[in-house]
Amino acid sequence: MSAYQKPLPRITPDNRPFWEGARRHELRLPRCRDCKRFWWPPGPVCPDCLAEHYEWTRVSGRGTISSWVVFHQLYFPSFAVDIPYAVVQVELEEGPRLISNLVGVKNQEIRIGMPVEVVFEDVTAEVTIPRFRPAG
Amino acid sequence: MPAEIAGRTAVVGVGVSRFGTFADESPLRLATEAFKAALADAGLAKDAVDGLALNIGWPLGVDYDRFAEALGLDVRFAYQAWTHGRFVGPTLQHAAMAVHAGLARCIACVCGVSFTQQRGLLGGPGDYEGTREEGGTHEENPVYGMTAPAAGAALSCQRYFALYGATSAQLAAVPIAFRKHALLNPQAIMREPLTLEAHQRSRYIIEPLHLYDCCVISDGAAVVLVTTAERARDGARPPVLIAGMQGMRAGREEFLFAPPGLGIHQQRTSRHRPTPDDLPVYRMAGVSQRDVDALYTYDAFSPLVLFVLERFGFCGPGEAAAWIQGGRIELGGELPMNTSGGLLSEAHVSGWNSLVELVRQLRGECGPRQIPDARVAQWATCWGDSIIFRR
Repeated sequence: MSAYQKPLPRITPDNRPFWEGARRHELRLPRCRDCKRFWWPPGPVCPDCLAEHYEWTRVSGRGTISSWVVFHQLYFPSFAVDIPYAVVQVELEEGPRLISNLVGVKNQEIRIGMPVEVVFEDVTAEVTIPRFRPAG
Repeated sequence: MPAEIAGRTAVVGVGVSRFGTFADESPLRLATEAFKAALADAGLAKDAVDGLALNIGWPLGVDYDRFAEALGLDVRFAYQAWTHGRFVGPTLQHAAMAVHAGLARCIACVCGVSFTQQRGLLGGPGDYEGTREEGGTHEENPVYGMTAPAAGAALSCQRYFALYGATSAQLAAVPIAFRKHALLNPQAIMREPLTLEAHQRSRYIIEPLHLYDCCVISDGAAVVLVTTAERARDGARPPVLIAGMQGMRAGREEFLFAPPGLGIHQQRTSRHRPTPDDLPVYRMAGVSQRDVDALYTYDAFSPLVLFVLERFGFCGPGEAAAWIQGGRIELGGELPMNTSGGLLSEAHVSGWNSLVELVRQLRGECGPRQIPDARVAQWATCWGDSIIFRR
């Protein structure tokens, strides 16, 4: 097995729980304990009520494609074999949107509104990357 | 009541360097060319300049401190914005506010950039900024191969097309219009006519954006000299007054390369129509959209032109792709935009080249591309900042 060559996440104090969740194959987002809203990207307080009581809560992993692009230009040498590859914006059932890749879909089949669900790819011993596939 | 600063500051001189690919020129050298041209334009000696407002700095361009020491300036007000083109308007606004507040007498807004020497910053492993916590400002996320500013514009464009039934062939009216303008501008880099067929045949960079939806990558510099309206009366050229302004927007309803409501990043999805509170620039300048003789915007990617038209209420949400057809944004049309060719066809001096063009239009110096009797011109971007100028 060759080592994973693509960029790995830069894990920071704010996003560490997200990547720790991914390692356990759980998609987790910050959720305010006071107003119950989820938010993304991570930050130290709830952007609605500024409460500091929040918890990294497991979400369904289901959502829909709300936009996408297809890279024809090569920027990362490690993505050369994937060109042309799609990057999608997934709107999760809980509200927040994530940037990700799709697996198991041809680029020309991607549509806005397409239902998707999370899958996890263990790319190194320490890092697992969430991606999405068509749902049911 | 108009704001106290309305009409009280002015542009008194503009200058540019050569535009092109210059492997042997530093941003500092190009900025020096533009600075000397601006001084000559204004009829000023360098000692008249006691302030600097810089955008774009290192590593793409020259920084304020190097510029001041290299040009032997004695600067009393120095300001430098983040190395992003979105700060064109805010940089000029800081200059106007500073001369109005008496912190400096004459401020040089300086942009000297060498994009061709720093292509790696524009996407891929060399774009360190794209590794910012949970994404770069154009939604970069290297883990997923999401990189380069074009990606953010493409993400918005795809959703816009899908929501409103707009097409790439409609969008092509933007680069085609600006190419026509470039053909009338000897300084422009792109001097071949652009047809719809050539646009549609051109390769995708990041789909749905074709090659000709993306700006020129170039080297060049531009300088804009700002002082008070009172001092400007004694200048060598007719002053171009800063009649109104409004700041750049930020927050959860904003994604840099989308109008409000498009539903990119964490924006809510809605058919957003601007309210008067969204557009104080018109109130401050005492004009409306109908009074604007020419509109200038940051056209790094052609969808941004659609978005600014909707954001500033020239047309409704989802209408811009149809609205721009039939030459509406071309010279001779209802609302000429980026009349020197913009970033898409003149050069990528980070938008400052378009501000220089705006000033020259209001001074009536644009020869074959002059807008007859141009009196009011607006700078506005799809991230919400704006400045209205009048002669």
